[in-house]
Order: sequence, then C-alpha cells, then structure tokens
Amino acid sequence: MSKNRVTRRQFLTYTITGVGGFMAAGMLMPMVRFAIDPILQTKEEGDFVQTSQKAAEITEVPVKVDFSYEQTDGWYKSEVADAAWVYREGDQIVAISPVCKHLGCTVNWASDPTHPDQFFCACHAGRYEKSGVNVKGTPPLGPLDMFEVAENDGFLMLGKKIANTHSN
Amino acid sequence: MNFKVTDVEQFQAQKQFIDTAIVPLLQLDFAEQGMKQSSSAGEYLMSLTNFIEQQFKGRIMLLPPFSYTVNTKSETLPTTIEQELKDAGFKSIIFVTCDHSWTEFKEFLNIIWLPPIPLESMDKSVKQRILEDQLKQVIPNLTNIWV
Repeated sequence: MSKNRVTRRQFLTYTITGVGGFMAAGMLMPMVRFAIDPILQTKEEGDFVQTSQKAAEITEVPVKVDFSYEQTDGWYKSEVADAAWVYREGDQIVAISPVCKHLGCTVNWASDPTHPDQFFCACHAGRYEKSGVNVKGTPPLGPLDMFEVAENDGFLMLGKKIANTHSN
Repeated sequence: MNFKVTDVEQFQAQKQFIDTAIVPLLQLDFAEQGMKQSSSAGEYLMSLTNFIEQQFKGRIMLLPPFSYTVNTKSETLPTTIEQELKDAGFKSIIFVTCDHSWTEFKEFLNIIWLPPIPLESMDKSVKQRILEDQLKQVIPNLTNIWV
C-alpha cells in the first residue's frame, strides 16, 4: 500500500462531488440548450430551391421555370408549385415572379400579339416591361417581384422573393 | 379567388374586376364499377379548376364543387345557381364538368365539358404538363365568354 492512501472521507468527498457534478450538468445542459435554441435553429426561409433549368441555357428571351417547395401549414405539409420567368441580362440572370401585382393572376411572356416584348396578364390586360416594371395606364400599380438567383452545379437556383430592383 | 374569407373580402371590394364564377359540377357514383372512375374524374376536375383559378386569380372566383349523385341530380341546379350568382354581382358564370349529360344545356349556359383524364397514375411533371395542355384548351372558351 502506498503512503498517501485515500481515506474514507476523501473517497466520499470525491464521489459525491463527481456524482453531484454529473447531476448538475444533467440539469443545466438542457436549460442552456433551450436558452440558445433560437441561434441553433436552421433558417428555412430564404433557402434556395433547386430548379431543373441549366443556367448556361438561359437566353435573353424569358422562359418559364417551374419549381416546387414544401410548405408547412400547421401540421399539414404540402408541396407548392411555383414558377418564374427567367432571362439573361448582360452577365446576370434575372428571375421575375409571374404573379400580377393587380389581383394575383399569372402573367405570361408575349401572350398578347400586339405587345410581343412584354409580360401580359390576360385577366384585365395588365402589361409589364421585360424588366417587370408595370406599363402606365394598365391596371397593375407596381412592378413584378423578383427572385434571388444563384447557381449550383450549372443549374439555376431560386431564393426568396424580393422587390423589383429595376427602376421606372 | 377561392371561396374563403380573405378572397371573398377582396371580391366584395373589387367586384368590377372579379366578375366570373367557376362552378365545378361533380357527379358522385357509388356503384361498384363507377366509384373509382367518379373519384378519378373528381380529382381531375379539382386539379384543373384549381389550376385555372391560379392562372386567372384576379378575375375568377372558384366555388366549391357542386356534387350530386345519380338520384339527387336536378336539371334545374345550374340555372338556379346561375341566377343566384348573377344576383350576387357575377357577370359570367362558367360551369366546368366531366359529366357529359350537361352538354345539352350548352345553348343557354356556359358549360365547359372535359373528358376526364386519370391523373392519379401520373408523375408530377407529366401531370403538370397535362394540366397546362388542358388549360390551353379552356382559355379560348374563357376569352370567348369575356369579350
């Protein structure tokens, strides 16, 4: 036996400190976890959604790109289909939301034969320039929204809706 | 617009723009052979009318489907609904249905009859494409009614 053998008192002190420490940690850890939870939460909004459109194939003529994402409404999860009109402007890609600013119809590119270079809303003959800016004198009161754009592996990705950055 | 509170409020504020009601007419068949077919037709009718609503949201109000069975079917149903909707301020009332028997009312009602397409067996992208094709067939009907 060595000289500094552990006394019964010491042994009990160590054991109780150790076990007590574990118990305190067991209580505190979840509390800390709850307290800092908002920081750890992953942000779902603003995530980019992958589309099947190759970025290199986008030209100056707007094309419709369909995409879908999951939406949670209470406990009910549903797949929401959405679309964007996408074209190239210089070295940038522009994605315009097709939702009319008048009453929420879906606009189409060049669907009005008399205005082939504009977005057209068939409901009330609303028109928008290619940039998404509304044509004065037609029902819409504001420009079409845009999507944030990114690229992944050569494919186009669309982010959240932002206000149109083209000025009148 | 759909038949829900937020959309109805908007309709009441903007009656001059939202002037068209879409009424799906849906036959329910509970017979052994007909039940599956009737549910498939219902699914198709609802997908298509929802898609039409999405495209023409600002001019159309989509009503919940009017469903009837073989025995509860009434010949006066569409004319009565049309009158009530006209009184409510809708200018055009369009009935969309997969039930062929309504086509005989075509002369005095706006009835769009479509042969049902079984969407349930289809892939999502194929489904989307079919609905777009069907919509293209419906659009001329709509524009004819609107001018």
